[in-house]
Amino acid sequence: MTPTPDTRHLTPDEVELWAEGLLPAARDAHLAQCDACRATAGGERKLFRDLAQLTRFAPEFGFVERVMAKVKIPTPSGPHFRSHSDS
Amino acid sequence: MGTRLTATSNAGGAIGAKDRPGHLTGASDQDVVEWAKRGHEAAFRELVRRYERPVFSLLYRMVRDRGLAEDLAQETFIKVLNGLGSYNPQFRFSSWIFKIANNAAIDQLRKRELDTLSLDGSPHATTPEAMRATALQLGDKRETPLQELEARELGGAIERAIARLRPEYRSCILLRHVEGHSYEEIARILELPLGTVKTYIHRARNELRGYLADRKE
Ligand SMILES: [Zn+2]
Repeated sequence: MTPTPDTRHLTPDEVELWAEGLLPAARDAHLAQCDACRATAGGERKLFRDLAQLTRFAPEFGFVERVMAKVKIPTPSGPHFRSHSDS
Repeated sequence: MGTRLTATSNAGGAIGAKDRPGHLTGASDQDVVEWAKRGHEAAFRELVRRYERPVFSLLYRMVRDRGLAEDLAQETFIKVLNGLGSYNPQFRFSSWIFKIANNAAIDQLRKRELDTLSLDGSPHATTPEAMRATALQLGDKRETPLQELEARELGGAIERAIARLRPEYRSCILLRHVEGHSYEEIARILELPLGTVKTYIHRARNELRGYLADRKE
C-alpha cells in the first residue's frame, strides 16, 4: 500500500460512520491530519450522544383499552394457535 | 424491531398475563398481524402494546401536546387495526404504522400550524434575534399540571432543539435516532427518495448542532 495522503474531506455519511465508531481505518488517517473534519466529527459525536438520551414516552394509563373499545375484531376463523411451548 | 419493543411496552395497558398468551410475546409482527386478521383479540392487544410507546412518542414530539398526541395515537391505531386487511406484508409492520402516525402528525401540524408555536420561536426564523423575537413568552401564565409534565418531558436542550426543526426534518431525526430505522426504511415511511432523506437528516443535524451551540452562549 502506498502511503499517499488522503486529502478528501469526510462526507456527511463518513462523519456519521465515525460518530458510530464504524469509519474504515483508511479514512481515519485523514481525520488525524484535518482540523476541519475533526471539528465536524467531534460535534457530530456529541450530538449523537445527546440524541441517544431521547427516551420513549408512555401514553396515559389505559391506552390499550381505549383503542380496543373502537376496534372491530373480525369473526374468529382459521386454526387455533398453540403456544410454542405446547409442542 | 418488534421484538425489541415487547419487553418495555406494557405500561399503558391494564391487561394481566392471562390475556397475553405466551405464543404472542415472542412472535414476529407479521405473525401477530396474521392472528389478528383471523379474529384473535389478544393479537390486536399485542400490536397496541408493542407500538403504543413508539407511536405516542413520535406524535408527542411532533405536536408537543400530550392530549393531542394521545388522540392522534388512538386514531393511528384504530386506522391500522381496522385496516389490517389492506396491510401489505412485504412492508414491515412498523414502517406501515409509523407512516400512518407521521401523516396524522403532519396533517395536524398543517391544520393547526403548531409548528409556528414551538417554544423557541418560528422555525422559519433564521437568526437568533428572529428566534427570540418570535418565541412564545413563557412565564406569563400559570402552568397546569399537564403543562408542567410536558415542560419536564420536552424541556431539555435536545428536545427543544428538535422542536425547532421543520416537521419533515423532525420526523426524519426521530425515526432515525429514537426508533433506529435505516435511511431506506425512513424513505419508505415518509415516501421520499432516499437521497432526500439523507439530505434532510444531514441538514437537521447541522441545525441541531447550531441550536445546541446557541444555548451554551
Ligand atoms: Zn478534512
